Amino acid sequence: MKPIRRRFPWAFLGKRLVYGALAMLAIAIINFFLLKLAPGDAAEALAGQAGTADPEYIAQLRAQFGLDQPLLSQLWAFLTRLATLDLGYSHVFNERVSTLILSRLPATLMLMGAAILIAVIGGIVFGVTAARYANRWPDRAISFVALLLYGTPPYWIGLMMILIFAVWLGWTPTSGMENVLAFHTGWDRVVDIAHHLILPALAQSIFYLAIYIRLVRAGMLEVLSLDFIRVARAKGISERRLAYRHALRNAVLPLVTVVGTNIGNFLGGAVLTETVFSWPGVGRLMFDAMFQRDLNLLLSILVLSSLFVIVANLIVDLLYAIINPTVELK
Amino acid sequence: MTTPILAVENLQISVRKKPGLLILRGVSFTVHAGETLAIVGESGCGKSMTSLAIMGLLPDAVERTAGSVRFKGRELPITDNRAMRKVRAVEIGMVFQEPMAALDPLYPVGKQVLEVIEEHEQLPREMAWKRVIDLLTKVDLPNPEALAWSYPHKLSGGQLQRVVIAMALACNPDVLIADEPTTALDVTVQAQIMRLLKRLQRDTGVAIVLITHNLGLVAHTADRVMVMYAGNKAEEAPTRDLFLSPRHPYSRGLLDATPNPERAAAGGGVLREIPGTVPSIADPMPGCRFAPRCPNASDLCRARVPEPTFEGAHGYACFHPVARETLT
Repeated sequence: MKPIRRRFPWAFLGKRLVYGALAMLAIAIINFFLLKLAPGDAAEALAGQAGTADPEYIAQLRAQFGLDQPLLSQLWAFLTRLATLDLGYSHVFNERVSTLILSRLPATLMLMGAAILIAVIGGIVFGVTAARYANRWPDRAISFVALLLYGTPPYWIGLMMILIFAVWLGWTPTSGMENVLAFHTGWDRVVDIAHHLILPALAQSIFYLAIYIRLVRAGMLEVLSLDFIRVARAKGISERRLAYRHALRNAVLPLVTVVGTNIGNFLGGAVLTETVFSWPGVGRLMFDAMFQRDLNLLLSILVLSSLFVIVANLIVDLLYAIINPTVELK
Repeated sequence: MTTPILAVENLQISVRKKPGLLILRGVSFTVHAGETLAIVGESGCGKSMTSLAIMGLLPDAVERTAGSVRFKGRELPITDNRAMRKVRAVEIGMVFQEPMAALDPLYPVGKQVLEVIEEHEQLPREMAWKRVIDLLTKVDLPNPEALAWSYPHKLSGGQLQRVVIAMALACNPDVLIADEPTTALDVTVQAQIMRLLKRLQRDTGVAIVLITHNLGLVAHTADRVMVMYAGNKAEEAPTRDLFLSPRHPYSRGLLDATPNPERAAAGGGVLREIPGTVPSIADPMPGCRFAPRCPNASDLCRARVPEPTFEGAHGYACFHPVARETLT
């Protein structure tokens, strides 16, 4: 017995990559103009920090950063740099932009990955449980808590979690990604980072966890009422197998779509979470870049984020086609 | 007489926690090894509920309030979902109405047949798979090795119903309940599926309970017919007897309501309908539930529920049966 292999949808992939590249170009151009609309620039911010408002000094900084050029040639310079994968130099942080972002990226990816994992796994486990006990007390309890979490602002949950678990109970650290002074190595370091990761990942996932629970519950209830479930039951299949093998795989399809569209939100939410928990990720870098008017750094982060979201969505679409054989990618 | 393979005794089903709302009002019948019993009646008369009750698959909104289902003389635990798992597919298989919706869209059809065998028998995978291919061959599916790996959306309604039949017979049950197995299919495919069921019955000796409202189908395939009306058994007879000489006025009405060119040629009209509508299950009428629509109804009919009367194998529940005659 061997299954028929489906062909890999190269044409679909190629088409989506072209669309993705065009979308990134549009995002780069639009964001460039949007950011230029904001008052102030890096030269003013730096001069402000240096404690002078000397117009000559500011003009000199502008010339050095290329900020005195006409807008369109600045845009052109930015786009050509993007095309050659050279993101330039951040005068505010005195570091190459690519080095700056790459050094922060793992922290953000780890936080995002953990948050998505918690939301998806928790959503499935609690959603399936709620559906299997529909309208009985486990369902009522889960649905009530989900509604509560859905209605509470995530930053407030984050602050409260710091207060309760870190300050009062002392179970977790209040902020940061690892205990730098302890100089942990190997496994100890992994445990230390995981310890620091729990609160921010939970805080970031909770809103989505609530949505996914409701989504999986509704999906399960719908699928469980379909004919093929009754047919499967007539085959003598156990309720457990019915729920996880037949109902869940069908019910999880809308979840996959929603997670795909939420990946961008998870990245956007990182700014807030990383600020609240002093997590050294790209989100905080973006926040700092904004305050320092380091538009080049900010633009680079935005464009890279869009690249990340586009690739993540592409992966989600491929994944969807793997789970659902009735979908043909064209 | 030998013990029937399946015996339903005084089965009563009502809306849960509302014992006054009776869906099935005490129905009894038997099925013997290798025979085909057809259950006919209009939508809502309780024929599908009867089949679901036998399988222990009653929806949550209803419950059994009286009666029993016996399989080979042993009472089935029809309210115990766990215990019924050992009965389903192994002793009683079931084929449903809508083949397009009967299979999980996310698994190849062969895997779904395999699932039945793996659930009930300890068999090495290779042998179980060989049996799947055998089953698909037996239900006349072309190129079964490749078809087993197709997903349901790639197959036609007729092909899917063949897969569902293969699934229902995978563990060699003694009884096959077919709940309107051809209603959703084209007429030509209907005939093919019925021929297939009859051939499989000859080969395996499985008893078939055919639930339908298609009297033409019944005439061709059933050994005995049971007519149901509003949750009651109205009449039960060998197929030939019922078609030649129905005794219950409702059966008579049903036969008259099928198109009949001969009667039309004699000036009797193509169709004769039964006046009125089926009473609601909430209607607390004390007598025969067919009385308001019945041409023979008397005060007795409106006051008391008629008990079944048997003349040999032919039984009917009526105070004023239609006279024995030949159908004109």
